[in-house]
Amino acid sequence: MKPKQVFFCIVLILAIYLPSCVNNNHEKNDRIVVAIPADAESLNPLFAFSFQEVNITELLYLSLVQHEWNDSDGDVKTSPMAAKNWVWNDDSTTITLNLRDDINWRDGHKLTAEDVIFSFDVYSDPDVQSRFFGTFNKFYLEKDQHIDLQKSFDSDNPYTIKIHFKPHSNPGLVDIDPPILPKHVFSNFDRKKFVQLEKGNDSVTCGPFYLSKWNPTQSIILKADENSFLYKPGTVKELIFKVIPDYNSRVTQLKNGEIDLMENVKPDQLSDLKALNRIKISAVKGREYDYAGWNNKIDLFSNPKVRNALTYAINREEILTEYLGNNGDLAVGPVAPIFKDSYNHNLKPFDYDPQKAKELLASDGWEDINKDGILEKNGVQFSFILNYAGGNPRREFAATVIKNNLKAIGVDVKAEPLEQGVFMEKMFTHKLNAWLAGWSVPIPIDLKPYWYSDLKQGSFNLTSYKNSTVDELLDKIEKSKPGSLKNELYKQLQEILYQDEPVSFLYWIDNNVAYNDRLENIKITPLGSVHHCWNWSVKN
Amino acid sequence: MVCFIFILLRISPGDPSLKFVSPELNPGLAQKIKESFGLNKPIAEQFIQFISNIFTGNFGVSYEFRKPVAGVIKNYLYFTFVFSLISFIIQITISYFLALLSVKKINGIVDRFLNKTSLVLYAIPSFVLGVFLIFIFSEKLKLLPASGLMSYDSESLSGSARITDYFLHMILPVITLSLGGIAVFYKYLRDNLDEVFNKPFVLNSYGYGLSKKEITKKHIIPNAISPLISIAGVELGILFSGALITEVIFGLPGMGRLTVNAILSRDYPLVVGCTFISGVLIIISNLLADLLKAEIDKRLIAGMIN
Repeated sequence: MKPKQVFFCIVLILAIYLPSCVNNNHEKNDRIVVAIPADAESLNPLFAFSFQEVNITELLYLSLVQHEWNDSDGDVKTSPMAAKNWVWNDDSTTITLNLRDDINWRDGHKLTAEDVIFSFDVYSDPDVQSRFFGTFNKFYLEKDQHIDLQKSFDSDNPYTIKIHFKPHSNPGLVDIDPPILPKHVFSNFDRKKFVQLEKGNDSVTCGPFYLSKWNPTQSIILKADENSFLYKPGTVKELIFKVIPDYNSRVTQLKNGEIDLMENVKPDQLSDLKALNRIKISAVKGREYDYAGWNNKIDLFSNPKVRNALTYAINREEILTEYLGNNGDLAVGPVAPIFKDSYNHNLKPFDYDPQKAKELLASDGWEDINKDGILEKNGVQFSFILNYAGGNPRREFAATVIKNNLKAIGVDVKAEPLEQGVFMEKMFTHKLNAWLAGWSVPIPIDLKPYWYSDLKQGSFNLTSYKNSTVDELLDKIEKSKPGSLKNELYKQLQEILYQDEPVSFLYWIDNNVAYNDRLENIKITPLGSVHHCWNWSVKN
Repeated sequence: MVCFIFILLRISPGDPSLKFVSPELNPGLAQKIKESFGLNKPIAEQFIQFISNIFTGNFGVSYEFRKPVAGVIKNYLYFTFVFSLISFIIQITISYFLALLSVKKINGIVDRFLNKTSLVLYAIPSFVLGVFLIFIFSEKLKLLPASGLMSYDSESLSGSARITDYFLHMILPVITLSLGGIAVFYKYLRDNLDEVFNKPFVLNSYGYGLSKKEITKKHIIPNAISPLISIAGVELGILFSGALITEVIFGLPGMGRLTVNAILSRDYPLVVGCTFISGVLIIISNLLADLLKAEIDKRLIAGMIN
């Protein structure tokens, strides 16, 4: 046989053989494949720092209570999980919880009050350096912020636990929701070395799913624990998180049916995906916003009039339409519209009004004296550098629009990208004068770190904004129980921030989640795309 | 080299503990973690500690993985080694045969076609090529998997099915990584062969009555291949350092991705470890190339001895 004939035969064999070899098992009836852009670093709830890791660990470990997003109220609704019921004492300083007695760890041990106390113990232990360290301010604490176990917990039987909080600390159910850890597993190790525990130790779980296999950098495979009280027959039995770093590969695999769900679909791809009848899009209203930060301490941006002028001068609508394809909303402040009761509906977004911007700047003494197209005041030109983290096309686009918009009112802006690590360091050390960045509003809302004048408590007040009324409101909010009073305080706070405009609030960004229409009972909320996914099923 | 990298990392901006700064975390946590990394100590003290560790083969503990650096690198190096070697062998083999095919008739149809095609292949960026191949072979023809190293249930497959599964997953990444290299090696070898073909000793050999096949095998190829080996040594070293773009597009666990992620997250011990390993592999690759050159052309050894 001649070489050409051999070559032709090989090609023919491969053409017949390859399609039969491709593993098409991904579309199994009880399996769902979710794309993730990066592998988890830890599935141990102690060290699950990223949002993605938190979402996955919530499927592996139970908490005392669970949260669900309530669309009509725009807030979370809390319901029982490991605790079947609870009662608060009269002054809300002690909560007595009755635990379910039908929860087993994967190795057969029962989940008891000892596990709960142990969990709070290690979460607050400074030697462990867990993600919850330093967040138990409402508990009785020792000097090193470790929870005082004697004062904080009582348990007279394995399924009842009392948790005591500091007087007037105004505790809530969100303060007792960290995932519960197995004491009988973790107590065998040195706490200082928890962080270095091999991944296999993540396998003793009690949640609706258990970790079946973790292929580092490739996939995380969870299987439904059919003994869990959360398991319902007919629901998903296998949940695979497939690591696909490249965005285009994620889209291709969604179209192919290799994956069932992906988050953060770019607006320009939505119509393509919608055209495929078997892909559904869920646009989750955002709790993440972009802003242009102004260093309130420097003369250039110290006057609220100037900051207002800058917001008037920026055509945010253009960015929202051109780049985000209207997948978002103009922002008026730091409370997202999804928090319906706390959001101040009376505030209307600043219009794009360059003329008004010019007038405001003129009233503050800025004018183009030497007719070079740039405003001056006291011999200083209105000129600054706008930094942003490179590699983010949305911010690059926004920076260009802002630069051009501000030039039109006589403000000279140089848009300069910085490497992500450099940008973050400079931003957190208050070394930037103007920058583009974004925040994600936590659930439940907590605005004190962002706007409080005392930078020890307001460690994310990166603009160095100062307003004593805002401080008072934030203190009151901290001490208020959820309800109409707290919501009213939030509305007042938004009004002041709207007037002061410490940053130019740009837009809230929707999270577009695309998924295969074979998924049923799926409800995607601001709490995460796979939140409560043990209720999902797959169409037969 | 590692000292230079250590100094470079410490004087460049960025802070590994910033990853632990978030409104949902206590501000004190980042400081505690920084202390546990030893970053609160004076630079000189950190440097002395670092150097003493290096001499015992200890690069420290990775900030991201919280594991010894050597263990982390080992996991990624194995894949990179196999992947690079396969790609390298394919690059050399195919370019070798194409070059021979081309010089059969210089400026003939085949030669012109291959010359132009090689230029096009060389000019295509690997991210474009990778996405294009995924689009054709995964999305449209559904012949090959789009990404990953293996199927989720590869462990449940039989031995041969598992090998086939790995093989299928590797086809597109290997093509993406190799095409550019094939084009370079082809062009280099083809030009060398052409040059050697025109040298007087070739005509002389014909005069001695040697056949074209004999002349090509014994005289032309050894003379033409020698400069290529140096280039191949460099290329192999680069491949061993990781193929970032291919690894990202196809979601593969290689050294390129590991190194870049370590740099972006300011994982100092891991950056130093990756750089050290890459450096060593580049030196080894070049050494191997030099040894091979000496084996082919004994005059080099004689020259060195003289």
